[in-house]
Amino acid sequence: MRSGEQSGRDVLTRSVRGQARRVGLGAALGCVHQLGEALVPVLIGVVIDQAVAGQDAGRLALWLVVLAVMYVALSWSFRLGARAGERSAEEAAHTLRLAIVRRVLDARGGAEEGRLPGELANVATEDAKRVGAVNMALMSGMWAVAGITASAVWLLLTSVPLGLIVLLGTPVLLWLGHLLSKPLERRSEAEQDRAAHASGVAADLVAGLRVLKGLGAQQAAVERYRRTSRASLAATLRAARAESWQTGLVLALTGGFIALIALVGGRLALDGSLTLGQLVSAVGLALFLLGPLETFAWVNAELAQGRASAARVAEVLAAQPAVVGGQDPVPDPVRGELRLRGVRLGGPDGVDLDLTAGRLTGIAVTDPASAEALLRCLGRETDPESGSVELDGVPLTRLDPAGLRAAVLVAAHDAVLFDGSLAANVTPQGEAEARSGPAEIGQADGADGADGADGADGADGAVNGTAEGTADLRTERAMAAAHADEVARSLPHGAATGVGEGGRSLSGGQRQRVLLARALRAGPPVLVVHDPTTAVDAVTEARIAQGLREIRRGRTTVVVTNSPALLAVADRVVLLDGGRVGAEGTHAELVQADATYRTAVLA
Amino acid sequence: MTTEETRAAQTEAAQKAAGRTEAGQTAAGQTEAGQGEADRALLPTASPARTRAAVRELLRPHRGLAWAGFGLMVLATSVGLLTQPLLGHIVDVVTEHRSPDALTLPVLALAGVAVVQGVTTALGMSLVSRLGETVLARLRELFVERALSLPLGRLEKAGSGDLNARVTRDVSRVADAVRGALPELARSALSIVLTLGALALLDWRFLLAALVALPVQAHTARWYVRNAVPLYAKERIATGSQQQQLLDTIGGARTVRAYRLQAGHTRRVTDRSRASVELTMRGVQLVLRFYSRLHIAEYAGLSAVLVTGFLLVRSGSASVGTATAAALYFHSLFGPVNTALVLLDDAQSATAGLARLVGVVDEPAPTFAERGDDRSTAAGAPSVTLTAVSHAYVPGRPVLHGVDLEIRPKERVALVGTTGAGKTTLAKLVAGLHRPESGRIDVGGVEPDESGRLVGLVTQEVHVFAGPLADDLRLARPLADDEELREALATVGALGWAEALPEGLETVVGDGGHRLTADRAQQLALARLLLADPPVVVLDEATAEAGSSGARQLDAAAEQALRGRTALVVAHRLSQAATADRVVVLSDGRVVESGTHDELLTADGAYATLWHAWSGSRSPAPDGP
Repeated sequence: MRSGEQSGRDVLTRSVRGQARRVGLGAALGCVHQLGEALVPVLIGVVIDQAVAGQDAGRLALWLVVLAVMYVALSWSFRLGARAGERSAEEAAHTLRLAIVRRVLDARGGAEEGRLPGELANVATEDAKRVGAVNMALMSGMWAVAGITASAVWLLLTSVPLGLIVLLGTPVLLWLGHLLSKPLERRSEAEQDRAAHASGVAADLVAGLRVLKGLGAQQAAVERYRRTSRASLAATLRAARAESWQTGLVLALTGGFIALIALVGGRLALDGSLTLGQLVSAVGLALFLLGPLETFAWVNAELAQGRASAARVAEVLAAQPAVVGGQDPVPDPVRGELRLRGVRLGGPDGVDLDLTAGRLTGIAVTDPASAEALLRCLGRETDPESGSVELDGVPLTRLDPAGLRAAVLVAAHDAVLFDGSLAANVTPQGEAEARSGPAEIGQADGADGADGADGADGADGAVNGTAEGTADLRTERAMAAAHADEVARSLPHGAATGVGEGGRSLSGGQRQRVLLARALRAGPPVLVVHDPTTAVDAVTEARIAQGLREIRRGRTTVVVTNSPALLAVADRVVLLDGGRVGAEGTHAELVQADATYRTAVLA
Repeated sequence: MTTEETRAAQTEAAQKAAGRTEAGQTAAGQTEAGQGEADRALLPTASPARTRAAVRELLRPHRGLAWAGFGLMVLATSVGLLTQPLLGHIVDVVTEHRSPDALTLPVLALAGVAVVQGVTTALGMSLVSRLGETVLARLRELFVERALSLPLGRLEKAGSGDLNARVTRDVSRVADAVRGALPELARSALSIVLTLGALALLDWRFLLAALVALPVQAHTARWYVRNAVPLYAKERIATGSQQQQLLDTIGGARTVRAYRLQAGHTRRVTDRSRASVELTMRGVQLVLRFYSRLHIAEYAGLSAVLVTGFLLVRSGSASVGTATAAALYFHSLFGPVNTALVLLDDAQSATAGLARLVGVVDEPAPTFAERGDDRSTAAGAPSVTLTAVSHAYVPGRPVLHGVDLEIRPKERVALVGTTGAGKTTLAKLVAGLHRPESGRIDVGGVEPDESGRLVGLVTQEVHVFAGPLADDLRLARPLADDEELREALATVGALGWAEALPEGLETVVGDGGHRLTADRAQQLALARLLLADPPVVVLDEATAEAGSSGARQLDAAAEQALRGRTALVVAHRLSQAATADRVVVLSDGRVVESGTHDELLTADGAYATLWHAWSGSRSPAPDGP
C-alpha cells in the first residue's frame, strides 16, 4: 500500500502519468483550439486588407464564411479538450484521495502522528485537488506553447525579422515570468500552511464547543481564534501583494513587447516588405499572445500551489509507520496465550506477565499511563522500547499487524462509534462483508479471512447453523452480554437508530455498552478491553461483568480496569504498580492481602 | 476569444475543485435508517438583501481603501485602452506612407502605456485584495465568534457537520472569490464598459455592431445560471457528505485499524468521492456548453463589426486604421466578457456561501447576564431551584417529568440513578445548555444560560484543545499568570505530570500534539473549572470517562474543585454519593428519593437497593474459576 520513500515530485509525476491518455488527448485538442484562436486575428487582418481596404464585398462574404468554419472547429476542440483535461484533474485527485485514506488506515499506522484529523481530511480533499489540477495546468501550458508556436510560424512565414523577435522574445518573457513567480511560490506555501492552521484551530474550537460552553470560555476562544485569523491574514496579504506585482510586471513586459513588434512591423510595412493586412495580423497576433503569456503566469502559480500540495500529500503517504517489520501470519489455530517479557510500561523496570490462554485476566493499575502503554503494545500500535510481547510463543514484532489484530482485539477505552445505525456499529465486519464484492483491497482479504477463520473456530461453542444464523445469534448474544440490547430498546427505531457523529446522540453509558457489544461481537480469540463500564451505573455494571464472563468463556480475555465489579469475575487479577507487577491473585485474595490493591480498586 | 477565456475556464474549474461545499451534508447517499439524518435542521441562511447590507457594514470602515483601489483600477484599464488607437494610428501611418520617424511617437506611447498599466494594475490589485482579505478576515472572526455562542440544542439539531462545513468550506469559497473572482470581475467589468465607450468614440455605429452579440450573451448567461444553480447545489451536498465521511473515517482511524474495517471505510470514501467527482464533471460540461454558446456570440459580433468597418470605409466616414482599431477593440472584448460571465456564476456561488456565513453571524446573540461579581465565590454561592421541570428531546418522549429540586447555597447534591434515568438531561438543564420544556430553573434569582459564567459544567466528554497546555488552561481565564495556572494544576494533582512534559506548560497538547491520557485530560478539565471559578458547578460523571484506574485521584481533584460552590454531581460511583450532603435518586425522569446517605439507607428504598448492589459488588466474592 505504501510505496516507500516518496517526494512531492514523485506524487506529481505519478498523478500526471496516471492520466497520461486524457492529458494527451486534452493537449492535442487544446492545440487545435489554440491554432484557431491564433488564426482569428490573422483572419481579421485578411478581412481588413482584402475586403475593407480593398472594398471587395465578395471577398468579405468569403472570408466571413471561412471565419465561421474556423469558429466551429475551435469551439468543438475546446469543448472536448477541456473536458478531457478536467476529467484528468478530477480522476487524479480521486486516486490520490483514496491513496491518502488507505495510508491513514494502514495497519501499521503512523500517518496521523502530529496531524489534526481535520488537517488530514484537508490534505485528502484540498491538496489532492490541487495536485490533480496540475494536470489541467500542464495542459494549459501546452496549449499556450501551441498558440505561441502557431503565431511564430505565421510570423516567420510573413517576415523573418518579426518571427525572430517573437521566437526569441517569448522565452525571455517566460523566463522573467518564472523568475517572478519564485517568491510567490515560497509565499504561497507559507500562506497555505497558515490558512490550514487557521482552519484547524477553528475546527478544533468547534469540536470542543461543549467544553467551552461548560466553562463560559467562548470569549477567550474567540480571542484566540482572532489572533490566528490575523496571523493568517498577514500571510495572505503578503502573498496577494506579490501576486499583484507579478501580474503588473507581466502586463508591462508584454505591453513593451507589443510596442517592439509594432515598431519593427511598422517599419517593414513602410519599406514595403510587409502588406497592410500582414501588419494588422501581426499586431493582432501580438495582442493574442497576451493570452498564452498570461496563461503561463497562471500555470506557474498553479504549479507552485500544486508542488506545495504534493509535498504535503507526500508527507502523509511517506509517513513513518508506527510499527515496522512483521510479515508472518498468526499461528493457526490461535491458542491465545500472551506473554510479556521485560516490557517497560512507564516504570523503570520491565514487566514480566503471562496471560493464560482461555482465561479471564483482570489487570488493575495504579498509574493509568501504564494501562495505556500496555494496550498500545498488545494491539501493536507501538512496539515496546524494550522487552518483547509474544502470542503463543511468537513475538508480536514478527507478526503482520492486520493479522495480529484479527487474533488479538484491543477494545480501547476511547474507541469511536461511526456515523450510522447502532446495528451497523455493532457488526461493522458484517456490514463490510455484505457491502464488499469479492475483490477488495489486500488488507480486507486478510481481515475477512481472519474473521472467517475465527467464525470457523467455533469459539462460541454451542452455535451452529447457517452463516447468516450464526451471525445473527452472535450479534444477539453480544448485545445481550453488553446490555446494549437495552440501549437499542430505548431508542426510537431500535437498533436501526442512528447514533450520530461519533455516537454523540447516545449518552456516555449507552455509548460504552455499544462499544463493548461491538468488541464482543467481533469475538476474537484474544480480547483486551479497557475500562468498558466507567460510565455505566453500578447495577448494570455487575450484570455486564457476568455477561462478559459468560460470552468469553474458554477464550483469552483481558480486562484492564480498576472496577471491582469486573475484577471480581476475573479468574486471576494482576496489579500493575508503578510500571511493574505489584501483586497477583484473585480479586478476593488481593482485597484481603494487598493494601495497594485495596486503595487502587476500592477507594 | 483569447486564451484569457480558457484561463477563466480554468479558474472556474479550479474554484470548483476547491470545493463548493454547502452546509448540508447527509441526505444524498446516506444509508442511515435512523432518525438523526432526517431530523436535521440546518442553520439559517441570510436573505440576499441582508447579505448585501452585511457586506456594506463590513466595508464601511474601509471606504478610503475601496475608493483608492477602484480609482487605480479605472486608471489602469483606461490607460490600457490607449493601445488599440495607437496601433490603429500606426496602421494609418503605413496606409498614408509617411516617414518611418512618424512611428517613433506612437511606439514610445505604446511602451509608456505598458509601464503605466503595469504599475497601476499592480497597485490597484493589491489594494483591492487588501480590502477583500481584511473584510474577509473580519467576517470569518465574526462567524467563529457567533458560532461559538450558538445554543447547543440548535447545533445538535443541525449536526456539527453543518457548522464545520461553513467554517471551513464556505469561508474558503468566499475567500477564493475575494482572492480571484473579485479583482478579475472588477477588471473585466471595467474593461467592458470602457472598451464599449472607446468603440463609441471611434464611431457610434461600431458600438451598435458590437451590441449584436449582446442578446446571445444575455440569453446564454440566463440559461447557464438556471441550470447551474440546482446542479451546484447537488454537488455541494455530495462534497459535504464526502467531507463528513473523511472526518468520520480519519478521526476513527485507530478504531478502523483495531477492527480491520479498512475495506468498508475505503469503500465508503470511494463512493462519496466518486459521486462528488461525477457531479463536478457534470458542472464542467455545463460550463463548456456555455462557452460553445458564447462562441456563437463572438462570431456574430465580430462579423458585424467587420461588415460595419467595410461599410464605413466605403462611405468614407472611417479610415482603415479606425476600422482596424474597432476590430481589435472587439477582439479584445472576448476575454473580459467571457471572464465576467463565468465569474457571475462564481460570484453567485460565493454569495451563497456568504449568505450562509452571514446567516450564522446574524443569529441572535444569546442574552447573557452581565458578567459581574456574582460570578466569584466571594459574593456567596447561590441556591438552585427547580420547579416542576419537564423535558423531552423528541416530542412525546419525555425524559424528565415534573422534577422539583432545591440545592441550597454551597450544598453538594449527588444525583443517582440507572443509566437513562435522565441524570444527564437534568445536569444540562441546570447548566443552561437546554431550556426545560416546562417548569422553571432558578439559579440565584436568574435562569441559567449557556454563558457558563454562573454555572460551570464539566462532563465526561474530554476535549484537549490543540496548542500549548497553558493556552488550553487560559481559555478558562485568559489573564491568568503562570503562577495561577500552576496553582490550579497543583490543586487537581496535575502539576507533577504537567511540569514533566517535554516543554512543561508550553508543550503542545491535543490533536496533533502530545497525547494526554483520558484521566489527565479530565484533570485538565477540572483545572479549567477552577480557573473559570463559577459559583455553581455541575459535574456530569466528570470522573467517569477517565477510567476507573485514575478515578480516585480524580475524585480527590473534583473534591477540591467543588469546595465552596453549590454543586450538583451526577454520580456513577456510589462512593461519590455517600460523601455528598444529600442524595437525590432519579428514576425514569422522576425524583423518587431525596435525603442524606444514611436517611436513604434507613428508608430502604431504591437507593438502598443500589447501595447494596454496589457494596456487594465490591465484596470479594468472585464465582471462582
